[in-house]
Amino acid sequence: MTTEIREENNSLIAVFKGRLDTAAAVQTTKDVEPLMNAEGKDVVLDCTELEYISSSGLRIFISILKSVKAQGGKVNVKNINDEIRKVFLMTGFDKLFTIQ
Amino acid sequence: MAIKILSVDDELDLELLLTQYFRRKIRKGEYEFFFAHNGIEALKMLLEQRDIDIILSDINMPEMDGLTLLTKINEMANPALKCIMVSAYGDMSNIRTAMNNGAFDFATKPIDLDDLSVTIEKAIEQINFVKQSQKEHSQLEMIKTDLAVAAEIQQAILPKKRPEFQAEGCAFDMGQVMIPAKEIGGDFYDYFHIDDEHMGLVMADVSGKGIPAALFMAVSRTMIRISGLQGINTAQCMRQSNKLLTKESVDNMFVTVFYAIINVKTGEVSYCNAGHNPPYILRKDGSLEKMPYSETFMLGVFEDTEFTEEKTKLEKGDMLLMYTDGVDEAFNPQNEGFGDERLEQILKESAGDSCQNIIDKVIDSVKAFVGEAPQSDDITLLAIKRIS
Repeated sequence: MTTEIREENNSLIAVFKGRLDTAAAVQTTKDVEPLMNAEGKDVVLDCTELEYISSSGLRIFISILKSVKAQGGKVNVKNINDEIRKVFLMTGFDKLFTIQ
Repeated sequence: MAIKILSVDDELDLELLLTQYFRRKIRKGEYEFFFAHNGIEALKMLLEQRDIDIILSDINMPEMDGLTLLTKINEMANPALKCIMVSAYGDMSNIRTAMNNGAFDFATKPIDLDDLSVTIEKAIEQINFVKQSQKEHSQLEMIKTDLAVAAEIQQAILPKKRPEFQAEGCAFDMGQVMIPAKEIGGDFYDYFHIDDEHMGLVMADVSGKGIPAALFMAVSRTMIRISGLQGINTAQCMRQSNKLLTKESVDNMFVTVFYAIINVKTGEVSYCNAGHNPPYILRKDGSLEKMPYSETFMLGVFEDTEFTEEKTKLEKGDMLLMYTDGVDEAFNPQNEGFGDERLEQILKESAGDSCQNIIDKVIDSVKAFVGEAPQSDDITLLAIKRIS
């Protein structure tokens, strides 16, 4: 599991690759640290190559959403696969995030 | 604490030599020396003085030689006890035998005390390392024991005894299981008697696994049960529990919950699904229905989440099966998920079976599918069936 963060057109883009399971969540929490200080910038969570997300992963997404929103930004989720879409549907995450 | 060194030599002048050379360390309490004059004496001292750290032993001695002593010491199986063997330079074959039998190092006679001093320092380093590992190992053992007790407590707070209802026509069958992925888990099921006709049923999954999830599980289970026992409707119960849990949640820990109240007499079910997997209803005729996806968000994240109550009905012979994603997201070594289809197939083939039998079948099938892969998440199932 890897997480890369870059800035593009005044937005922060996080690119997730691999399986975001409970074991990977510890490192990912550290990796997304810069998103917690987005200072009003919008954030895109690019899930094109994210294969799987566990509940610990969903927790990270909530943390990002809460802090980005608190600073006046928006969070968009990009390209989730069918499995993750199912998880989003089931947990109500589809209503929480704008999915591109 | 002083390092205890036992010198074993039939030549008495070594005793003088050692105490003279190491006098500063002895005075400072860093080293403490003991002396024996053959293997047998040494063994006796080892039994009396069980915390000897280093043995400095001659090979050629009367009564019991150094190599025999080394064998006896090996039998004690104490990795924190190091033997340094001493012999004449020409006695290399015995020295090699000693080294092959686990001696830490050797010194040749006449002993170069500066060199011996370095060897002792090196042995102490290893002894300290072994002792530290032993200490950490025993701490780990203690944690493991604690975890085993915690696991027992966790299983004990999950109900096993079904609530009893006196009224006529409210017979039902139930089955349940909770298998944590680690020693303890974040999943739980619960059921409780609300009044003469109503029973509360809970299926829930806390984010994450292990101890943090288990602690949040215990809190969630208690809050939902206390709210549920008040007899309020399912949406109110979720609203109340969510308010309390949001205050307790650390780092956005959350719990997905399916909470249902069943009227055991009429089969009417009112429920609120807070971000949990939709349960299944297996009808008496073998047809299978997946309940609709949750309309509301999980508990513990936003204090002002709105919850809605839905309704359905179980006719006699119908079964409601609630479960957590440990079932459909059980992965095999190729990282393929067990999936809904396999679960649905088992259910369709099981109409008429008892709840516990069906749950056991699901568990067997999941285990066979997962094979050698480690269990990725807690697995929990709860089923209730109205019987005539």
